[in-house]
Amino acid sequence: MAVVEAGLFGYAKVDRKMKAIEVKNVTKVYPAIKGYKELLFHPFQKKGTTALRGINLEVRSSQCFCLMGPNGAGKTTLIKILSTLVLPDEGKAFIKGHDLEKETDEVKKHIGFALAEERSFYWRLTGLQNLDFFAALNNISLSKRRKKIHEVINLVGLEKAAYRRFNTYSTGMRQMMAIARALLSDPDILFVDEPTRSLDPVAAQNIRTFLREEMVENHGKTVFWATHDLSEAAEFAHTIAIISEGQVRDEGSVRSLTNQGSLSLKEVYERAVKKAAPEKKGFGS
Amino acid sequence: MKELLKKLPLRKKVLGVDIMSALIQKLYAFLKRDFLEEASYKYSFIASFFGIFLSSATFFFISKLISPNSSSVLDPYGGDYFSFVIIGIAFSGLLAIFQERLPAIIRQAQVTGTLEAILVSRTSIPVILFGSSLYYFLYSIASTVFHLILAVVVFGMQVEKINWLGAVLTFILTALCFLSIGILSACFILVYKKGNPFSWIYGSVSGLLGGVFFPIKILPAWIKWISYILPITYSLEGLRKSIITTSPFSEILPNIIALSVFTVVFFPLSIYLFRMALKKAKKDGTLTHY
Repeated sequence: MAVVEAGLFGYAKVDRKMKAIEVKNVTKVYPAIKGYKELLFHPFQKKGTTALRGINLEVRSSQCFCLMGPNGAGKTTLIKILSTLVLPDEGKAFIKGHDLEKETDEVKKHIGFALAEERSFYWRLTGLQNLDFFAALNNISLSKRRKKIHEVINLVGLEKAAYRRFNTYSTGMRQMMAIARALLSDPDILFVDEPTRSLDPVAAQNIRTFLREEMVENHGKTVFWATHDLSEAAEFAHTIAIISEGQVRDEGSVRSLTNQGSLSLKEVYERAVKKAAPEKKGFGS
Repeated sequence: MKELLKKLPLRKKVLGVDIMSALIQKLYAFLKRDFLEEASYKYSFIASFFGIFLSSATFFFISKLISPNSSSVLDPYGGDYFSFVIIGIAFSGLLAIFQERLPAIIRQAQVTGTLEAILVSRTSIPVILFGSSLYYFLYSIASTVFHLILAVVVFGMQVEKINWLGAVLTFILTALCFLSIGILSACFILVYKKGNPFSWIYGSVSGLLGGVFFPIKILPAWIKWISYILPITYSLEGLRKSIITTSPFSEILPNIIALSVFTVVFFPLSIYLFRMALKKAKKDGTLTHY
């Protein structure tokens, strides 16, 4: 079902059935940090912490997809793999049909990553100067850059703060700026890793509304959101995947997961997490 | 600028992007970012130039202890210690800039998270490395020129006729060679975070054995051989011959050849090793660890 929809910087064809992201049997094991004794006596012994165990996932275009799970479940690892910052040990992943490892340049054309780390900006530069730098790195030509920067700044509502130094911004404004940076290259897929963490409820709500209404519904983007907040996932997502101990435990729309509302999302989540670690109680680690 | 870009050869489009134009714009973006950041620390900016004045003055007075032509080892350099040492400290600053600043930039970007933001963009590794060093390269040229102007105008250093071809070629090769050493240091920082051995080898050893403060001729034979495997020895020798003694190009050529060999080996090797280091950091998931 290909329909023509307004893109952020023009009109683009959006096929809602098309796979935006495809993850096939992705495994990631981080090497363990060795102590002096191990370095001395077993320098070549390999030990590691498994972050992802053969993950399989499909995300369709123009969806709000929520990856939900406790701390240490593997959410950030998966987002970093999908945004080309971490390499998987096994398995394959595709962005818009492009192999992450073999077609990295093509993949980067389609993705934007709103990094949760607010220090990922240059604090002594203004918001505008920061965006100008990252726009140049994303091949946005000098002639189009000013227009695009103003478009994304207006979109996230930071036009009045654009000429202020980044270190004067509030946490919420920094998160919005991270989203603005990720949108500079007009990506089809936007990765956001717990963007509402440490935000007040109003600012958090603004970000949720912006991503769902502005990005997905108005501009046809795919938003891949990692969170451990149940209410956020319930309000935001078209599809939720519950991940725990590096494996997807449950997946579907809120209605299907909750069995048409007969279960609460909290119950579904607890059951999925317990499935992974029956000895553990509560959420997260 | 647009007209200039249109005239440039090798205008090739890759994935719909004019790579030459994009490359120039990216390098300019790095340059602008670093200038804005550095200039925002106004006192540090001014103090760095004041520091050059102080070091020049210190060596000017030390050179008063060594009367001209008092030592035969200085004869190949015109016999004046001040001219000899000012070339040494002015150009060894270039090594310090690349060898210390580039790994420091990578480490800072790793700690703050800007490295991830840069790596997720559509910019290649060589452009990131070259772009990140560009401001400091230009800054080091400015500080070297400032060093030389101070030495000539304020402290009366004698410069008769510069062999420009020899000086420029030696300088370019020196910069590329030192940039390679900086990239090798950055590789280490990327994987092991701290304890950079290149800093020790090329910083301390080059200062002692590279002919920065005294001619390598006075070193004992058992240690002198190390001087000949340090690129800085050939850089300073070539630059002194070009600037102080105005030697003919044929006398500077051996230094240029030696620096070319170092550059041909080190430059591609450093880029390759940086790619490997980055791959390892991505594989280990330690890109932002510190």
